[in-house]
Amino acid sequence: MSDLRSTLANAGVPRRRWRWVAAAVAVVVIAGIVVAVVRGGGSGEATAAGQPVRGGTLQFALIDYQRSPDPQWGTNYAESLIGNNITDKLTWQDPATGEITPWLAQSWEYNSDLTEFTFHLRRDVTFSDGSPFDAEVVKANFDQYVHGDPALGILPNGASLLRGYRETQVLDPYTVKISFAQPLASFLQASSFTANAQPGFLSLSTLKLSADQRTDPTKVIGTGPFVYESWEPQVKTVLARRAGYHWSPPALHHEGEAYLDKVVFNTIPEASVRTGSLVSGTVDATLDVGTTDEKPLADQGFQIIHRGVSGTAIYFAFNSSLFPTNDIAVRKAIQLGWDRQAIEKTILTPSYSIAKSILEPSVPGFADYSGSVLRYDPEQARRLLDHAGWVPGADGIRVKDGRKLTVKLLGISNLVVNKPAYESVQQDLREIGIDLQLTVVPIPDYTAQQAKAKTDWNVTAANRSRNDPAALTLQFGPSAGNSTYLSADSTGVDVNEVAQVLGKLETTLDPATRNAYAKQAQDILLEKYALVNPVYNPSQVIAHAPSVHGIVFDAQSRNHFVDAWKNPGN
Amino acid sequence: MLRYVAGKAGRAVFVVWAAFTLTFILLYVLPANPVDLLFDPAEVNSVPPEVKAAVAESYGFTEPVLVQYLDRLGHAVRGDFGTSAQTGASVASSIAGVLPATLGLAVGALALALVIAFVIALVATAARQRWLRNLVESLPTASVSIPVFLSGILLLQIFAFRLGWFPAFGERGWQSLVLPLVTLAIPVSGPIAQLLVRSFATEFRSGYVTTSWAKGATRARIIVGDVFRNASLPALTIAAVTFGSLMVNAVIVETVFARKGLGRMTQTAINTLDLPLVQGIVVFVAAAFALINLVVDLVYPLLDPRLRATLAVAGGRGTR
Repeated sequence: MSDLRSTLANAGVPRRRWRWVAAAVAVVVIAGIVVAVVRGGGSGEATAAGQPVRGGTLQFALIDYQRSPDPQWGTNYAESLIGNNITDKLTWQDPATGEITPWLAQSWEYNSDLTEFTFHLRRDVTFSDGSPFDAEVVKANFDQYVHGDPALGILPNGASLLRGYRETQVLDPYTVKISFAQPLASFLQASSFTANAQPGFLSLSTLKLSADQRTDPTKVIGTGPFVYESWEPQVKTVLARRAGYHWSPPALHHEGEAYLDKVVFNTIPEASVRTGSLVSGTVDATLDVGTTDEKPLADQGFQIIHRGVSGTAIYFAFNSSLFPTNDIAVRKAIQLGWDRQAIEKTILTPSYSIAKSILEPSVPGFADYSGSVLRYDPEQARRLLDHAGWVPGADGIRVKDGRKLTVKLLGISNLVVNKPAYESVQQDLREIGIDLQLTVVPIPDYTAQQAKAKTDWNVTAANRSRNDPAALTLQFGPSAGNSTYLSADSTGVDVNEVAQVLGKLETTLDPATRNAYAKQAQDILLEKYALVNPVYNPSQVIAHAPSVHGIVFDAQSRNHFVDAWKNPGN
Repeated sequence: MLRYVAGKAGRAVFVVWAAFTLTFILLYVLPANPVDLLFDPAEVNSVPPEVKAAVAESYGFTEPVLVQYLDRLGHAVRGDFGTSAQTGASVASSIAGVLPATLGLAVGALALALVIAFVIALVATAARQRWLRNLVESLPTASVSIPVFLSGILLLQIFAFRLGWFPAFGERGWQSLVLPLVTLAIPVSGPIAQLLVRSFATEFRSGYVTTSWAKGATRARIIVGDVFRNASLPALTIAAVTFGSLMVNAVIVETVFARKGLGRMTQTAINTLDLPLVQGIVVFVAAAFALINLVVDLVYPLLDPRLRATLAVAGGRGTR
């Protein structure tokens, strides 16, 4: 800052100013923004259904990506959804009726014990590498699916779906007999299973590959309506139409190959980028539509399609061995103590619904409990607690024998509705003197905490995607999932009775008898022992351009694209 | 001199080893049973115990912890971090698979950030108007304060969804790189620009500049010819900070623009508690950090004669 310096500097001739450059840049930027704002998005395409058109590429957006192209492995939606389009199953479950209908198996029979299932396979099915689909392939698939292969790094993905799997016998080139150590009525539905870790058939050449080698998508060979064209983890999976495919489930009434040439599954983690891409026309359809985006998209002319996630509702499973949820009065009071309408009005969209049972309404055997135990009746809840000796404490929270009525809940944050719904329940329960403490965390943290659930958590909140009432056996059976931690410490609960009632679901496939057993199972879980408090039915929601048609939701609410098509020129 | 190099290199190796050991302790010893994490959380309770035992066995989780540690360390030294629990692919190849994408993004963003930083510093130094100087000098602070998430979404809304100039997601040639580059360069340029503005100002007022004035040099000539060279050197010292900033913000940029890359893989690996992959990434990033610091330490004496002289004297005397 010497004077000499300033004098010297100022002695020069003034040069052109930076100011003009800065001003010019500013003008350009502002003009750009103005143009951008004025030129609003929005697509006004005509809705012309009519005859399906062949050809075209469907650009689809979703939040997840496949961590591996292997369809038998996978715990996220992208994995099961894409797996369903490159592989087929033995049977197809009608999403509307729950009926098991033919697919790769034309017919089947089972013994009276439901320990042996014989399937007669179609003879005209081939893998995309030309190899035949036959009994040997089915056996090789089920063996690896259930047992895994440590040498290849393949996990026992099907071990929990096919509990007690004994073996698959090849009776003739197109007949297999699958046997189990104990009755497994739900196996028939499992043969159509389309959700996580699904039994989609892979070629013998694929089954020989290690987990690492299966990350080459061109080597993962199925019989499905599409084949892998490419797989880029974190970015996208591209499927191409399988030439010569003509064995889609008869129940779908689709003839021949898929209509679309290609389906591109674009992974877009950000919700606003998914909707922005749909509105700007970059993608034709997007899954994982947020509850707040549904209405604006519908108002802009996009179509919202959805299906409830079949299986159980999102439920609170009460720990029946741990204070204070070992008290049936507390469990019943929680069932009665929260306002279902409030959640329906403020949190859920029409794509979702309040739980009326532990089962989702589309599951065969569903019964409605909204008029009985699953209703909002705070007065009755208070009476139950008063009777059981819970008296209101100074802070409004009830107390019994000097111990507070504090209920600790462990939940998963993966669905956007979960936390707000639980918070609404929490508020209502506080009114009747129950302090529900919420810990709602991402999946791995949940899994980590779950290991300590028997001793640390009163409530675990989760759901299970399986369109069969035996989901209850798997999830709540004392010798299976035992989510309510039934034990000798479970005050007032006859554990053997629960085991027996839930177990019966695996012993019959007669629809009427099975529905009766399903009713008994729901009765005992909801009414008799109040072991669960179902909250709401989650949903899979897709928004798509009006030019898109024929996206199928299957029985597990996964999507199939064999019947999907686009209006030409879009 | 040799001692200096060995000391710096030894420190780098120690950092990498410490990163490995810490992640091992944090990941393998503290939290849940790693076997449980391989299954769907809704199903984990209904997986038969014998199946879990078999899986634990095949992953080596049943060995004593010390044996597991030494085994993993032995493999890690050879660059083998095992296989990702979530994909079955080897950790090394998983990282190698996404590295080019992140490197491209990071190098491009760094270059752009440097350009932005130098422009800011030059304008701030050259500007004679107080208001312009003040405005420009406040830019670095602003660039660090805007959340990357927000600037990314904003750029997308304007240039991808409204104007349609650039693709909104994925990888489609150079066009898909423009918005992520700009988004990532903004926060990275901040600290560099701040440092440069300060050292430009310092150099601009030093004696040799006055000499140049006196010799009749123009303002532009002084800035480019004299100040620029001397003032740029300090930017090297924050190379590691810049690298850290690039990595952290890459996670967000890669997520917003749905790009593949190391940042997003890190996020997924942590979210799914993919232990081998998390460890591989942590060690890799630590190694990169250590390497950058090492290179800076080694290059600095080459650039700065004063430091070289000090080292030579110290080496000659045989003291530390």
